[in-house]
Amino acid sequence: MPVPARPRQRRSAQKTGSTPVVFPAVLVVTAAGAGAAVGLAPEGARPWVAGTATAAWVCIAAVVAFTAARLRKAHRQTVSRTGELEMTKNNWSQHGAETDQLVNVTLPAVAEQLKNGVGADKVLAGLPTPSDPYLRRMLHVFTTEVAESVRRTADAQSDLDMMRRELAKGTQELERLTHDTLPAAVSLLREGSSADTVLAKLDWPTNPLLRSPAESFIRELAYSERRSAAAQAASAKALSRVQAKTVGMLADLRDMQDRHGGEIFGDLLRLDHSTSQLGLMTDRLALLMGGRSSRVWNKPIVMESILRGSVGRIAAYRRVRLHNSSKASIAGFAAEGVMHLLAELMDNAANFSPPIDEVHVYVEERSAGLVITIEDSGLKMSDASMRRAEESVSGQVTDLASLQGTRLGLSVVGRLAAKHGISVNYRPSSRGGTGVVVLLPPQLVAQQREPVGPERPRPGADLPAAAPAATPASAAVPAPVPAAEESFPVRTPQPAAPVDEAPPVDMPRRRGAATPGGLPVRAPGRTMAEAERGRSKAAPEPSRAEPDANAPARDAGSRFGAFHRGRHAGGNTDGSPAAPGEDARPETGPEADG
Amino acid sequence: MSRKPVDIGDPDRLYTVTGGRSEADDAFDLVTLIVSECEPTAGMQSEHVRILELCRHPTALVEVSAELKLPITVVRILLGDLHAMGKVSARHPRAADSVATLPETALLQEVLHGLRNL
Repeated sequence: MPVPARPRQRRSAQKTGSTPVVFPAVLVVTAAGAGAAVGLAPEGARPWVAGTATAAWVCIAAVVAFTAARLRKAHRQTVSRTGELEMTKNNWSQHGAETDQLVNVTLPAVAEQLKNGVGADKVLAGLPTPSDPYLRRMLHVFTTEVAESVRRTADAQSDLDMMRRELAKGTQELERLTHDTLPAAVSLLREGSSADTVLAKLDWPTNPLLRSPAESFIRELAYSERRSAAAQAASAKALSRVQAKTVGMLADLRDMQDRHGGEIFGDLLRLDHSTSQLGLMTDRLALLMGGRSSRVWNKPIVMESILRGSVGRIAAYRRVRLHNSSKASIAGFAAEGVMHLLAELMDNAANFSPPIDEVHVYVEERSAGLVITIEDSGLKMSDASMRRAEESVSGQVTDLASLQGTRLGLSVVGRLAAKHGISVNYRPSSRGGTGVVVLLPPQLVAQQREPVGPERPRPGADLPAAAPAATPASAAVPAPVPAAEESFPVRTPQPAAPVDEAPPVDMPRRRGAATPGGLPVRAPGRTMAEAERGRSKAAPEPSRAEPDANAPARDAGSRFGAFHRGRHAGGNTDGSPAAPGEDARPETGPEADG
Repeated sequence: MSRKPVDIGDPDRLYTVTGGRSEADDAFDLVTLIVSECEPTAGMQSEHVRILELCRHPTALVEVSAELKLPITVVRILLGDLHAMGKVSARHPRAADSVATLPETALLQEVLHGLRNL
């Protein structure tokens, strides 16, 4: 209320500036007028006029005096109010300057200092204290709050840094775990180490978040590895009993077949066939389970027996036509594997061709080894299935996990092929179906082909074994010269008296292929038998003089036999070259030795 | 693995030798002499080859069987094949011819009775 009242007061104050002079003048003028009125009045009215004029003047004087007193009072009030106003204005401007200083200078400085880590108390102490208590309080509150938030920010920052470090460390550990430790652990486990060994051996992450899942993973994996290994071992063990039983049954059946004829014989043959198929299935499973083949042969097996031994194990053996004129033998250690491999491939071919069509098996001898082609006339395999089959038989994937229900046979083929270095290839057959080409490398072939010499007479390309005796007698009857006969001179330990038929082409090779001490040197790609043959090439004739006791096997017995024969050969050296009648005998040799 | 002694026999089963047949024709007696008519040729089954070689001189079936270490029935089947191809010929022993000239069984029985009654 005082503020709006102010202008009125000011105006009245300005008006009252002239009043002290005005009032006495009014009194004088009115007194003069009253005197004049009294003087001018008629005599009779003079007392009345004088009285009235006096009374009127007294009234006016009283009014003027009162008014003057009021005016003075108002003037005094005005003066004091103006002073107050000035003081307030001063205060206001001072206050404004302080606020200005506070906002523009002090607060930023405070914030800066606090940010630089100076304590709140210190900052407050170093500041000019504002006069206004509110400002003082505000400054105080501001300082403490900012100090608090600065502290919180620093904490948060350090927390963040720590987190980042932890994260980087964790990432690094995770990387190491993923790329180094886990693969190493898995391969160790696959090799049969226990979980504790693996956990102790390798460098595991320290971070429990990583360590505990890794540990549990390893333990779980070790458990499943152990379980699968145990299952495999148990199956292999159980299967080995079945295998032994099957082999025993086959031997028994063979005995019975010798004893019985007629209808019983036919039944025995059927049983024999079933048992052989059973043997194939058992062998297949045993091989997949890491077991061994049911049989081991201690002598080379001629190709014909190999083919028959394979074909006899499949159900549709009557549909398989064998075209074999090779006299080569498969080394005993590989014979069972080769038979199993061929049986699986023939089984496959027979199963995937119409039941009236035949499966043809051809054997060729090539310098790269024995080539066996199995052709069916069934449906052509699709590219995808051929690729799958190729993959299975390549032997690169030996994991049981890759087994497919019906492809056990091909997986076994792959394993056997990888084991013996046999190459198995699928190709479309010219007969309309699928052909499988099996290449048996030379080291599996017990009887090597003679090296092709230009001056050596070759009775037939498919009868390489007939070649060694260039004498007319045996050249006239090339076919029956068996593989077994050839393998014998190979093992003659002593070079006997050279005879005229030693091929000249072999002589330099023989010299080149021996150490100064007389030991044979095996050139790469040649088998030991071939190397030895080169050394003892001079002695075929004497050994041929005793053809009936040939031992084709690579066993100690045959070596003793060879020694024995060699000892006897001295008397027979100049004796009979193989007579035609005797050519038949070596054929019985393997059986006779068996 | 049970380590059994290594196999010393042959891997081929008899039904693969005979091609699945178990019935032999009765053309061959145990003592029928077999003579080969030609030399073995390449690509023949090895048993055929051996029979042909063995029978360059007349050989009895039972001897062939013993030599080949094969049951009589199997040898009969093999010989049947060779015979059908004309590669062997069979000579029945002379005794077989005289079977027809032997006295009747009834007569012999009578003789037996007479002897017993003596």
